[in-house]
Amino acid sequence: MCGRQLITRQDFLKAALTLAAAPLLRALPARADDAAEATEIAPGVFVHQGRYELQSPDNRGDMANASFVVGNDGVAVIDTLGSAVAGAELLAAVRAATNKPIRYVINTHMHPDHVFGNAAFKGDAPTFVGHHKLARGLATRGERYLAINKEMLGAAAFEGIEIILPTVQVADKVTLDLGGRELVLEPQRTAHTDNDLTITDTATGTLFLGDLLFSVHVPTLDGSITGWLALIEELKSRQAARVVPGHGPHAMEMPGALEPEERYLASIAGDVRRLIKEGKTLEDAIKTAGFSERDAWKLFDHYHVRNVSAAFAELEWE
Amino acid sequence: MSLPIKSLALACGLAAFVIALQPFVAAADEDDWVGLKQQVFGDRPISAEDGVVVLDAPYTADDPSLVPITVRVPPEIKQKLKTLTLFIDKNPDPIVAKISFGPAQGTGGERSFSTRVRIDNFSHVRAVLETEDGQLHMATKFVAASGGCGAMQAKDPDTESVDLGKTLVKVFPPALESGPIWSGQVMIKHPNSNGMQLDIHTANVIPARFVKDVVVKRDGELVFQMASTFSISTNPNFRFTFGRGPNNSLDVAVTDTDGAVFAAKSEPSGS
Repeated sequence: MCGRQLITRQDFLKAALTLAAAPLLRALPARADDAAEATEIAPGVFVHQGRYELQSPDNRGDMANASFVVGNDGVAVIDTLGSAVAGAELLAAVRAATNKPIRYVINTHMHPDHVFGNAAFKGDAPTFVGHHKLARGLATRGERYLAINKEMLGAAAFEGIEIILPTVQVADKVTLDLGGRELVLEPQRTAHTDNDLTITDTATGTLFLGDLLFSVHVPTLDGSITGWLALIEELKSRQAARVVPGHGPHAMEMPGALEPEERYLASIAGDVRRLIKEGKTLEDAIKTAGFSERDAWKLFDHYHVRNVSAAFAELEWE
Repeated sequence: MSLPIKSLALACGLAAFVIALQPFVAAADEDDWVGLKQQVFGDRPISAEDGVVVLDAPYTADDPSLVPITVRVPPEIKQKLKTLTLFIDKNPDPIVAKISFGPAQGTGGERSFSTRVRIDNFSHVRAVLETEDGQLHMATKFVAASGGCGAMQAKDPDTESVDLGKTLVKVFPPALESGPIWSGQVMIKHPNSNGMQLDIHTANVIPARFVKDVVVKRDGELVFQMASTFSISTNPNFRFTFGRGPNNSLDVAVTDTDGAVFAAKSEPSGS
């Protein structure tokens, strides 16, 4: 897949030679064994599946899904993984599939595991695209995101990460033309975060939900639990040939794909509302609410208590 | 008040290594307290962990901008309480709140005070209680959390200022309504902004604006008055006990640093 290879002396000399001979070429060559795994789930639609892990030197921030869509005129990349190193591997996967120019890099939301690979695409001079609230959200959290990821990724995987904010900020539904196929971008109201963007590829009916859809990996709440549940209800009525989750398998079928996530969030909301009604406190809630879901998700112990805290702070105002 | 970026970054990053480094951090923390104690209490002796006051705080905070803490005075302590001061040694302003208790504070059962705080760095959290006899009692907990102040932000800033100042007051009767100690809760919709965040549209720091004074009365008698700082989390939330009165009706007046005043009262209880 995308495991790092030991660099042999021969590789090193080859790379050094390439760099010396062609200084304008990308510093990170698109060698096949450096490329991220990417599966063509529909014609011209490629998805890389991230690991169900926290960021680490070993996974280099490769812990979310990232996709690219190839049109006649160019390519759109959807999310870029959690480091410039992982982003470069994604770029290598794009280059293994097509030589068409990368016109757009679209971020589904502000979280580091979806945007920290942006820097790897700078050399291709794409237009960076995001929800109109992404820049504010990422800019105010950027310093903290960088500090945390520096520590968790380690120096090697942190190398080259920079915060690249979108230059096209989507406030209303917008269509990007890739030649022979269009991507429809829709900014959503506050749900997983306050800057979730969904993308539909019209040619194949593929709907990219970003972190509005978690599968296997426990959902993480950084927006509004009531907003997210309401949006899931709306998304369930969407017609889509397939959906791509932000964390989960390469592709899933609607509407079943959303059901476990809806059950998880509804379980938290139900338990928290009941506890608030009984006069219980936040401390009570984080010990019990939603724990019936514990065995259904990976990384539950890392994120669940935080999800409950956020839900409690929101729902106590109802 | 400016936050050393490097130490914040370091602290955030250290989260993963909390257990390994805690003794080192805790030792450094003690030094802060010496000066802080002198500043607030002078040479007065403080009796630590003597059971008069108990502090509940999580060892690791899942969300450093929303850390629940509870101060309890066990039922066997019958004295009236004068003041309670809460500290977070490593916060930019280490004094979280100073609470002065009034005649409606109640006795005859366990008394408690809970709130949610921001913790900017691995820090000791302290509750110093002054009893009626003038003695000081302290309970301390170490909390591994970081980035709660500089990194504090609303999940959805556009809704943050909607209903600013909206204040809810709730009364919770004890299991037996004849019990002498009742509970109340005050919730204030307020960003409690700490002047440490950038507005990316203007590149200016968002000016600090936080709740600085809260007065709670039961049937017109003072339960407590609190002077607070931005170490209290967004949408300040207080849960406290009070002595049973004729109507058990709570009146709350809140003042923020802009001089805005918000007032609210509880629904009549038992109706």
